Amino acid sequence: MEERETRFPFLRLRPLIAVLTAAVILAAACGGDDESGTDAPDQPATTTQASEPDTAQDSDGSAAAEDPDEPAVQDSDGSATAEDSDEPAMADLSGTIGFIKGPHSAMEAEFEQQIIDDFNADVAPNVEVEFSTYDWPVHVAELTTLFASGSPPDVQYLVDLIYPSFAEQGQLHDMTELVNDPSWADERAAISPFAWDLAEQQGGTWGVPVLGAVYNIFINKDLLEEAGVADSWDDSYESMLTAARALTTDDVFGFAARTSAADFAWWDWYPYIHNAGGDVLSDDWSSCGLVGQDVVDAMQFLIDIHTAGVAPEPGSLTNQGLFDAFKAGKIAILHHETPNITDLNANPPDFEWDVAFAPPGPQGQTVMGNFGILSIAEASDNKDAAWAFIKHWASAPQVGRFAEQVSLQVVREDIIDDLFAENAAMAKVQSDLVPRVQGLQPHPQILEALQSAWPVAEDAFRGNLTGAEAIAGMCDAIDGVLAG
Amino acid sequence: MRLSSGEHRRLRRRYKLRTALTAYLFLAPNLLCFAVFLLLPVLWLAFSTFRTGGVLGPAEFVGLDNWRETFGDPLARTSIRNTIVYSAMAIPAVFVIAMVLALALRTIPRGGSPIRVALYLPTLQPTIVAALIFTFVLHPDFGVINFAVRTLGRDPINFLGDISLALPTVAGIEVWRGTGFWTMMFLAGLVGLPHELFQAAELDGAGAVRRFVSLAVPLLRPTFYFAVIFATIVNLQLFDTVFALTDGGPANSTLTVALFVYRSLFSFGEIGFGSTLSFILVITVLALTGAQTYLMRYRS
Repeated sequence: MEERETRFPFLRLRPLIAVLTAAVILAAACGGDDESGTDAPDQPATTTQASEPDTAQDSDGSAAAEDPDEPAVQDSDGSATAEDSDEPAMADLSGTIGFIKGPHSAMEAEFEQQIIDDFNADVAPNVEVEFSTYDWPVHVAELTTLFASGSPPDVQYLVDLIYPSFAEQGQLHDMTELVNDPSWADERAAISPFAWDLAEQQGGTWGVPVLGAVYNIFINKDLLEEAGVADSWDDSYESMLTAARALTTDDVFGFAARTSAADFAWWDWYPYIHNAGGDVLSDDWSSCGLVGQDVVDAMQFLIDIHTAGVAPEPGSLTNQGLFDAFKAGKIAILHHETPNITDLNANPPDFEWDVAFAPPGPQGQTVMGNFGILSIAEASDNKDAAWAFIKHWASAPQVGRFAEQVSLQVVREDIIDDLFAENAAMAKVQSDLVPRVQGLQPHPQILEALQSAWPVAEDAFRGNLTGAEAIAGMCDAIDGVLAG
Repeated sequence: MRLSSGEHRRLRRRYKLRTALTAYLFLAPNLLCFAVFLLLPVLWLAFSTFRTGGVLGPAEFVGLDNWRETFGDPLARTSIRNTIVYSAMAIPAVFVIAMVLALALRTIPRGGSPIRVALYLPTLQPTIVAALIFTFVLHPDFGVINFAVRTLGRDPINFLGDISLALPTVAGIEVWRGTGFWTMMFLAGLVGLPHELFQAAELDGAGAVRRFVSLAVPLLRPTFYFAVIFATIVNLQLFDTVFALTDGGPANSTLTVALFVYRSLFSFGEIGFGSTLSFILVITVLALTGAQTYLMRYRS
């Protein structure tokens, strides 16, 4: 061997070569691709940043803070706040805050930028707001990941379906003191008490209620009139089924509602259950609340209308597919959501349409709605700026403009009459539907309960279960979640 | 020079040590990555099966609660059953189709390359593209297949919305995606077989089927060995297609173990439960791989 090493001296360097080669292989094996190192994994793809203005400006671009006679700090509506509050002066606020929200419009980033620009111009010129969006279908997973990272966005828009879980796990800042600050009392009073009830759970206040989404029915008035059911279709469940039969042709479905969990189909199911006096959870949230013959009858009605040949086969059309079919005049009565009103106004179909709500049930006539709050992450290290931004976002001019832009409802009672002057359908939603809203029960496991129980309803809507069997199966699933 | 026996033993030990050390140095990167990115996470996963929480809140030791809950959960059983049924449909189907195509390709003397490229293209499609393609193929309203069905005067088929059809449809899509890969794999195996044996068998009067069964299949055993293990591992972890196409529906008919694990961990925050289900999946894959290794390597 020594002879070989004499003839081939580099063989003496084998250990060194081995070490170097091992180092190269290690780097290659562990390094991954270049792109993975440059992407920030916890940052959603869609991000806009508010550029920090050199001087505070009004939204029209004129300087606001240069005039020494002008109060340095103003609310969005112009009233001075800093002087009569213990909070830090807004102009002293600085730093960067993150704000994340699910999109309510394709132009969400643009609309948010308007709010951020106004915030920088009127409230806190030295605070940079980084806006990003999460995707609704996977928003729970996205938010869970962001919270788990330890550095979530400072401000989150959270719906009542999911915030209780994050609050329970200590991820949200208890805003009780902030919202009860005397300097904000008028603003607090402007927000409807039922909205505060939804935001105040588990002994804390987990956000400021700002928006509501109402789940309405769209009707094709031309088709209803042609079928002679325009005045009677919503008298009762039986009337609706009769109307759906009369409306159904080879080319048109009389009725349609969402049926899959992926489309959050329970929003269309809830009114019938609420109208029957039932709910997912019992009054004390300790067990399944789908009890009573009225609830069974309501479920049986929904099964009947889905199996009567008047509705698209369950699972055959997606959320968007159903709405597109309505726009094309292929569905006469459609359960859906108010943001689509924007689409119908912008691209009017060639028929008359209107918004409505489900017929009355034995225990009432309700409308389903869920609500969104603006929360502060417990991990936020700039809670003062986050609170200032939330107050700005929730102020009448900002939330009112945004609600009109995306066709959502507001929970401020002081601006309802001023909104949607040019939008008859939304005005009707706000005046006729919103007062009937019965929301969901913000239990920390409400989403899991719904997602676990819904496959039973999916099965039932295909005619495989009776109303009683479906309700029993859903209760088994709900009780299983609560027990787990 | 003559070495004493002691000196000889010492030099031999030193040589063996140096050789082994060199080998271990070359293996070290892989072993390190294996330990950091696989072994430790699996051990941590095993540890997590005895705890709850730990991601958004503090972890808590719960003993065997997660195991009891997992085996008692009807949805977990549904997801396991769906995964097994799906694998039982997809794996044999893709192997049979791929083998037939590989045998056909092997007999094409010229012009096989474009066909091979065309066959391999579905494998290259990202899941979301495949999902989009199959929306246009399967959609009850405007899908190509249902257009043909309606043309024949029949009612459209709700492939992904029908509880009994959704899982076979997902299996069909995965077969479509995997056929190209397995065809190339089997074709490579077939091309590598010694021609003389087949010529001799043909001279002896063995027909095509006999040559395939008695010669090709035994000689392709290493290829089959890899194929069965790899396909089992991949298919038991089916996630992306059902996530993109059905989200586990309708009525949980396409809920797979991997999708249920994702839901448990990220939607419901049930870290212990999700970890337990994940660990069961890991153990199942390891057990099946071990069993297949034993059956294919030692018993045959």
